[in-house]
Amino acid sequence: MEQLEILKHTDKINELLARYGVKFGIYKNNVFKEQLFPFDSIPRIIEHKEFEHLEKGLKQRVMALNLFLKDIYSKKQIVKDGIVPEDFIFASSGYMAECEGVAPPKGIYSHISGIDLVKGKDGSWYILEDNLRVPSGASYPMIARELCRRSSPDTFHNHRLEDNRNYADLLRRAMDYVNPGGHTVILTPGRYNAAYFEHSYLAEKTGAHLATGSELIVEKDNLYYISSNGVKEKVGAVYRRISDEYLDPMNFNPESLIGIPHIYEVFRKGNVALINAPGNGVADDKGIYYFVPKMIRYYLGEEPILSNAPTYLPFYEEDMKYVLAHFDDLVLKDVAEAGGYGVVFGSSMTKEQKQDFIALLKREPRRFIAQEVIDFQDLDIVDHGEIVPRKADLRAFVLMAEEPFVWKSGLTRFSRNSDSFIVNSSQGGGFKDTWVLYQ
Amino acid sequence: MLRQLYNILPDTGKKQACLQFCMAAVFAGLQVRGGFVTVLHFEYQMEIEYEENVGRCYYTIKCIPREDARQHLLGMEFSILPETEHSIGEDSFGNKQIYGCETEPHRQFIFHITGDVEIIQTDYEEEAAEEKTGIFRYPYGKCMPGPGLLRYYESCDFSSCGNSYEVCVELMHRLHRDFTYESGVTHVHTTAEEAWELGRGVCQDYAHIYITLLRMAGIPARYVCGLIIGEGASHAWVEALCGSRWLAFDPTNDCLVLDHYIKLGHGRDTSDCAINRGLMWNGGAQTQKISVLVEKRERE
Repeated sequence: MEQLEILKHTDKINELLARYGVKFGIYKNNVFKEQLFPFDSIPRIIEHKEFEHLEKGLKQRVMALNLFLKDIYSKKQIVKDGIVPEDFIFASSGYMAECEGVAPPKGIYSHISGIDLVKGKDGSWYILEDNLRVPSGASYPMIARELCRRSSPDTFHNHRLEDNRNYADLLRRAMDYVNPGGHTVILTPGRYNAAYFEHSYLAEKTGAHLATGSELIVEKDNLYYISSNGVKEKVGAVYRRISDEYLDPMNFNPESLIGIPHIYEVFRKGNVALINAPGNGVADDKGIYYFVPKMIRYYLGEEPILSNAPTYLPFYEEDMKYVLAHFDDLVLKDVAEAGGYGVVFGSSMTKEQKQDFIALLKREPRRFIAQEVIDFQDLDIVDHGEIVPRKADLRAFVLMAEEPFVWKSGLTRFSRNSDSFIVNSSQGGGFKDTWVLYQ
Repeated sequence: MLRQLYNILPDTGKKQACLQFCMAAVFAGLQVRGGFVTVLHFEYQMEIEYEENVGRCYYTIKCIPREDARQHLLGMEFSILPETEHSIGEDSFGNKQIYGCETEPHRQFIFHITGDVEIIQTDYEEEAAEEKTGIFRYPYGKCMPGPGLLRYYESCDFSSCGNSYEVCVELMHRLHRDFTYESGVTHVHTTAEEAWELGRGVCQDYAHIYITLLRMAGIPARYVCGLIIGEGASHAWVEALCGSRWLAFDPTNDCLVLDHYIKLGHGRDTSDCAINRGLMWNGGAQTQKISVLVEKRERE
């Protein structure tokens, strides 16, 4: 078994990951703590045929989401046609009025989409959520593969395994495609950011400049990079790893120290591509998730290839009835929260908690979605020398240039504890490499 | 006919009555076009003095009158001191903006604009595009109702109101009765709810509270920043979508917006159309002096 061959190297790989600074920073109670993102060397393996299916479904989904964003920030035809209620746009915290009427280069909003999926015990995949703002995580399977390849080269000869080293090329292509002229930079808030390792790694792999806000400056509707020797160079594309809110203190949060004043005006005039475009939050919150299959039918005239987890919107009276009747079987999610927070299981609440929650639900029905708890497949991990099952998901990366391209790999995350369903890395789980096999 | 009627009504009270009649007519779907034309000359100056040198300063100024059915910009010029390279653009609400960065150290920043605007009093801006009005129906920023405003709204009785225009008028009168004008008790960051709890405030607070209430009533409402005759600073009022037209109300003065109002910008609340937004390094304490002049010009 070649797999066992890699297993022998787990410790060594984790040691190398630590040395390379593959860490995940988290803020808890206002304290910044950097923790290792533990790597488990048993890969998730996806067969060729299975991945082909995922690929089709993911492309379709990302196409529809991009069309949705374009529509929402212009005509809002999908609202007029009664497919998506206005409430889910204007009351969404991700909707940004500043994006109204502003067309991003080539009409692309989500250049890099991180789509989270789980595989049910029945073998079918379900979409768990879409991440269209600043999805992170591609660097982890990239570097893990690199290190595994180094410590166990044979493994990679003996399997029909798709190479995942092309992520940098895909990313570069997505960035170049929308660049109206000038250099490409990756904008990082700096080394105290949770994903700083990833920012620097992707800059190195794509050949983009890694820059902080203070190295970029707006002059006469153009953006410039000031290099360390004072030379000013025009920038055409910014893969920004900071959220919309902090991007431009003159347009968004005035307190932001990591942004670039007036960069949004440069974007407005079409002189720079912001990757991803601002305002994408309106398409990836948990409330709008419910409508994605409808978007696919609406914009593409196709049936969705990949299913959502069965979801109910208490906003609709009929769904509210169902939720109240099946409360214990459902998981409830606060649409405004992310990173595994604001998620509660009906069955785990005390009687009082349940009463309070139902009162809140009735008061603010738009704030929550309810989902059936998917019985998803466990994956094996090695824990203290023993093989044990853990809940796991998959973040697939879709990169958009002339057409969408799905990276033949992905980030598989697993939960830290055996009883946990939440695999988010900000809650302390680990990750695996994802192997996609060719025919 | 209306023009003649208007001209023989010299005092504001009667003009107001006439305008009210026009608005009711507009609301009933009657065509009232090219009513009264007035030319207004305006000057606006903002002077900021800094205690210490400012090393770098970014600015965005939204102070060019908007162009819409009601008003046309006949001409304008502006200056910025110290002289800097600047750009002109439009924000997502269609407000014109002048923006740039002053990189030379300076202790004083002066913006000055002057121009003429033609006001056609009864050509209200018509908004057929649904996608542009929804956003003004939702609570936002400083116009979020709290317990105080919710209670107040519940105490309002609109049973005598036949349409949204009448709801607007009723709410404006009520608010004017129940809120007191007083300067110096609120500041630029005061929210509608905070001002309401205080019971006193200035035009910005009147506008925020009025907008919050109108939105609660399901009427799209937007904050308007502008200049009026006889006021030494900028003024704020409200536009509400009645039927398919944006009608303008001044809750501070409890009146409909007449031909002595110049509209600069609009937005969901004051921050969307703030005349000046700046970001500077150093500078210490600053004092700001604003002077506004608006006067009627006789037509040649």
